[in-house]
Amino acid sequence: MDDTRQRIVVAAYGCVARRGVAKTTVEDIARAAGVSRATVYRAFPGGRDDVIDATVAWATLDFFARLYEHIRNASGLEEMMEQGIAFAHRAIVEHDVLQRVMQTEPDRLLPALTVESNRVREGIAEVLAPYLADRGVAPGIELADAADFLARMVLSYISAPGRWDLDDQDQVARLVRAELLAGIVAAAPAD
Amino acid sequence: MERSGGALRVVDVAVGDAAVVAAPRSGADSPQRVRIVDGTLACLARHGTTKTTVDDIARQSGVSRATVYRAFPGGRDEILRAVVDTETARLFSALGVRLGTAGDLTDALVGGIVEASVRLRDHAALRFLVEHEPGLVLGHLAFADSDRLLATASRFTAPFLARWMPPSEAERVAEWAARIVLSYAVSPSDRTDLCDPVQARRLVTRFMLPGIDALQSAAVGATDITWSHGGRPAPGGRPAT
Repeated sequence: MDDTRQRIVVAAYGCVARRGVAKTTVEDIARAAGVSRATVYRAFPGGRDDVIDATVAWATLDFFARLYEHIRNASGLEEMMEQGIAFAHRAIVEHDVLQRVMQTEPDRLLPALTVESNRVREGIAEVLAPYLADRGVAPGIELADAADFLARMVLSYISAPGRWDLDDQDQVARLVRAELLAGIVAAAPAD
Repeated sequence: MERSGGALRVVDVAVGDAAVVAAPRSGADSPQRVRIVDGTLACLARHGTTKTTVDDIARQSGVSRATVYRAFPGGRDEILRAVVDTETARLFSALGVRLGTAGDLTDALVGGIVEASVRLRDHAALRFLVEHEPGLVLGHLAFADSDRLLATASRFTAPFLARWMPPSEAERVAEWAARIVLSYAVSPSDRTDLCDPVQARRLVTRFMLPGIDALQSAAVGATDITWSHGGRPAPGGRPAT
């Protein structure tokens, strides 16, 4: 993303945080970014909806960059998944802008978020794959299948925890080590 | 905006407890109502919720406007609510048949996952809405609001799975299966098609059954009893595999 687009998107995020998607106009975004309306339209020919889609993409990327930063020093697959799920769960619960827009304007947020979540799933699978390879998968399991399945499950649990209390470390450990990994990893963890 | 807000509330009600409990209530399934619900489904599959009017529904169902309002005094919103109730009840009763006749846990999981996946894939109205009115339905199929859908699915299917495991574990496993169905239904995979019984069985035996065993072993301290997949409690520990 070039500097102008980046600047417009960051400004748009601030506008949405203050007054939601519906009340944010191109005028507001331009003013907050300190550029003209024409500049916004040059950078985003589709206008406001274009800016909003790019803003959701940017916020999602930012979220997963923070998540990746958090788990990159984990010592192995199990630890990485536990830390990642717990961190992502808290970050989503505490994400004021996400929570508010989801409550008040889900129909404006969900389509863009769904497009993003497909990309995110692929990203999670890519992060998981080398850890899985390192850890070793059980006989008959294809690495790419396992990575895709685990990425789906991670996304499902962090967006809707269901019966699991993801603030409870023991439960997260049980979810990861028993439910999710029992059929996938080669043998008991080395330590 | 207001229209879609109203429709969202319709779905909200339907994915809660009301859907499963209230759908078979007496008097609610008069032939006229069922006919109108099916007519509405055909309209939704072509035009979605925003462009479907009571006139369209009456024409499609082959009844008069007056008949529609006699059957559904609340008009369009009440009809949409009845559509979701009816479709939810149809899905769960089909699942009930599959799960109730399964011979073992693997068959129950595979049969249930395939049944639900095929029904979601072939549901023309749902497909239209996911594509053209994603804001209306996606929140319930993925993201935070799907918690309620998962809870409903798990409450309904867990008793069937409790033939092979303690009830508390059955609820977790039922929720897990529902997550898997939703994930692959909302974002189809080119690696695994859960509508195909062979591929569904592969996923269940490789990814789910070992996890179910491990979950039960992890919970065994609390109960001192593990239930074997054969359906009888096995005192002491899990059966040898």
